[in-house]
Amino acid sequence: MPIPSLCGATAAMLKVVGAILVLCAGALIGLHMSHQYASRPRQIRQLIQALQRLETEISYGATPLAEAFHSIARQAAGPVAVLLGAAAEELQSESADTRGALERSAERCWGRTALRPAEREIWLHLGSILGVSDRDDQIRHLRLAMSQLKSEEDAAQEDQRRYASMWRSLGLLGGALVAILLY
Amino acid sequence: MDLDINSIFQIAAIGFILAMIHTILKQMGKEDIAHWVTVIGFVIVLYMVIQRLGDLFQEIRAIFLFQ
Repeated sequence: MPIPSLCGATAAMLKVVGAILVLCAGALIGLHMSHQYASRPRQIRQLIQALQRLETEISYGATPLAEAFHSIARQAAGPVAVLLGAAAEELQSESADTRGALERSAERCWGRTALRPAEREIWLHLGSILGVSDRDDQIRHLRLAMSQLKSEEDAAQEDQRRYASMWRSLGLLGGALVAILLY
Repeated sequence: MDLDINSIFQIAAIGFILAMIHTILKQMGKEDIAHWVTVIGFVIVLYMVIQRLGDLFQEIRAIFLFQ
């Protein structure tokens, strides 16, 4: 595919630069997908730990939900901490409707996490339970959510094992293919 | 007309990369996607080859009609 209207040397150089850019784009896309697969089990684990701290707070103290979420957000890390912090903010601004608060925080922050719709279902279900029923019921539901997340974590680790390195090579090869086709 | 060596290398490189993609997809377990990708690559290469063949036949016809 020749480049018209440019003299020979710069045209060739421009083609090489373009090919390298396409290759890098493909490789970075592959790396991003691979990273998503790798981060998902880690973030699920962080979410489980945060829920464990929440269960401790609920069972041993009478802290209001917004403060409890604030303290677990402080102890968490990464995008999960951002999600918990957003939930804490929403709970503070409107303490009555926990489900709505968790929904809004999910809308704001879910894109930054590597979590999938399955975990989002569990997160929203928690919103219907927390702050509504009595202490033992909430703790039971928290434990149920934690065991569901644990099985999701195992599935996510299986996915990671199978797909993470594949996507890396696939991204690079796809970029090379497009670069060669356009050359 | 394109430089022929370039297009031969292009076709060879496409074939090589397609073989690698096919193997990786088969290892991932997505055999049907692997087959689709191979078929699409085959169609692309076929398109390039037919274009060159068309040029070749034009040249041959020009030579024979000229004489």
